[in-house]
Amino acid sequence: MKKQTLQRSLTGFWWLTLFFLYVPLLVVVLFSFNAANSAANFTGFSLRWYQQLLGNEEILSAFANSMVLAIASSAVALTLGCLIGYGMYRHRHRKLGWLIILIYLPIVLPDIVFGISEMAFFVQINRLTGLLGPGLLTMIISHVTFQIPFVALIVYSRFVGLDPTLFEAAKDLYATPWQRARFFMLPTIKPALISAFFLSFTLSIDDFVISFFTAGPESATLPIYIWGAIKKGVSPEINAMATVMIGAVAVAAVLSLMFNRQGRQQ
Amino acid sequence: MAYSGVLPSARSRAMVSESRHLLMTVAPGAVWIFIFLVLPSFYLMSVAFMTNGTYGLPEMPLSLESFKRLAGFGFLGWSAGNLFTLLRSLWQTVVSTGLVIIIAYPIAYYITTCREKWRPIMLLLVVVPSWTNQVIRTFGWMNLLAPGTPLAEFAQMLGLVPANMGLYPSNFAVTLGLVYNFLPFMVLPLYAAFEKLDHAQVQAAQDLYASPVRAFWHAVFPQTLPGLLAGIVLVAIPAFGMYVIPELLGGGKGMMLGNLVANQFSGGSNWPLGAAGAILMLIATFIGLYAMRRIGKRLGGGEEVVI
Repeated sequence: MKKQTLQRSLTGFWWLTLFFLYVPLLVVVLFSFNAANSAANFTGFSLRWYQQLLGNEEILSAFANSMVLAIASSAVALTLGCLIGYGMYRHRHRKLGWLIILIYLPIVLPDIVFGISEMAFFVQINRLTGLLGPGLLTMIISHVTFQIPFVALIVYSRFVGLDPTLFEAAKDLYATPWQRARFFMLPTIKPALISAFFLSFTLSIDDFVISFFTAGPESATLPIYIWGAIKKGVSPEINAMATVMIGAVAVAAVLSLMFNRQGRQQ
Repeated sequence: MAYSGVLPSARSRAMVSESRHLLMTVAPGAVWIFIFLVLPSFYLMSVAFMTNGTYGLPEMPLSLESFKRLAGFGFLGWSAGNLFTLLRSLWQTVVSTGLVIIIAYPIAYYITTCREKWRPIMLLLVVVPSWTNQVIRTFGWMNLLAPGTPLAEFAQMLGLVPANMGLYPSNFAVTLGLVYNFLPFMVLPLYAAFEKLDHAQVQAAQDLYASPVRAFWHAVFPQTLPGLLAGIVLVAIPAFGMYVIPELLGGGKGMMLGNLVANQFSGGSNWPLGAAGAILMLIATFIGLYAMRRIGKRLGGGEEVVI
């Protein structure tokens, strides 16, 4: 009897927590359809904020910047991180403490310290050489830096999960290193590569602080634009923009669930 | 061992080729992180010991001026502003981490009691909000706590806030934002710990007529400790350096260390002072990581904390 009450109160607590987790997002979505320019009263359904969104050049360019940044940085990080992941696996019996520290550094560093370090560094390089002025390039460089470790760790753990005799088998069949990479390694780590790319992409889109400190005047991303709009005074347009981004996350969540299902059924 | 039967020269040649292989795979990424993160961090740390120049850029005579400023000694004598900011950061970190633990424990446990089929979906439900951008999530709370919203009116009815005021900017709003932001980071490691829980120990405690509290404390808690420690690292370290949430929900009286540092690099323009604050954050980060590893090794029965 007592156990049942415990279970019932836990269930109640679970739904309460879910409500807590989703209510701020739901409010944003709800008020993006508000006819009035108010954060307190919902006066009627309207799509006017979405129309304004499409007509706003700044927002469209911020969207383009976000996409270029996320795709370019994920592609570079995937290449570099994948190589590290393989190297770490292949040489896992050696002492690689320095490499582990180097890889964990971008993960444990508070993002504000990360951001201002990069900014101070880029400003000085720019003063001395004229290169690396603040803009998309500096943002891509910073994003790659924090994406590499995640790619490396995902690829590494995929290799660790493999049967080591597979490598021997590939060697025994006189596969050249190139053939081994092309026909054995790449296909087997493909799921890891896909999830690493998606994680990098999400990390890049999700990042605000590091982008904020490395961005130039022309390279504002969506979060940076939203930040500026909030600082200037809350406008319902932000709600509409945020709703689009929340929608993208919801799609990603459903996709990841489907992938997960498929992965387990195989 | 694999090379034990091979001639020494062939063996050393193999070693060289192995080393070259290691270098070729690992070097590009490692060099990237070194140039674009390790060097900048060292540069930032050196900035803290320089003098503040005319345009807020660091200049040469080395000094400890910025650390004095951080401790509150300014041109106009000592003031407590910066120290308050530091203490507030610590306080907010401790309170929000504590609250996150209190919420995350039952949630993580509850998920493990549900049918296996539902668990990934439940975890996903907990994590998905944190996939949206931090600025948007915080903006959601601004919407909820603004003047005229049901929450704000309720608080006014209780006399907690003056009439026509919202619940932000305030320290309460910052705590709320922090708890909201970091909850998933505690639920995930705790869930992993609960899933591995050895139920025989709990059964044994119950057989020995332990009260539920004692059973939890002696049979469950030690087993979940590695997960708890990992969660604390994941929550407390980023919370201490949080920038976005106090900036949007805290206002001037809710400022934390992250804002103090960031302001020196944007509006305030005193790089050495900002860099000194950043060093403080780094020290806190590494002390936190080190302490967790030590405690984890001692209490976790030799099992290392996942960090």
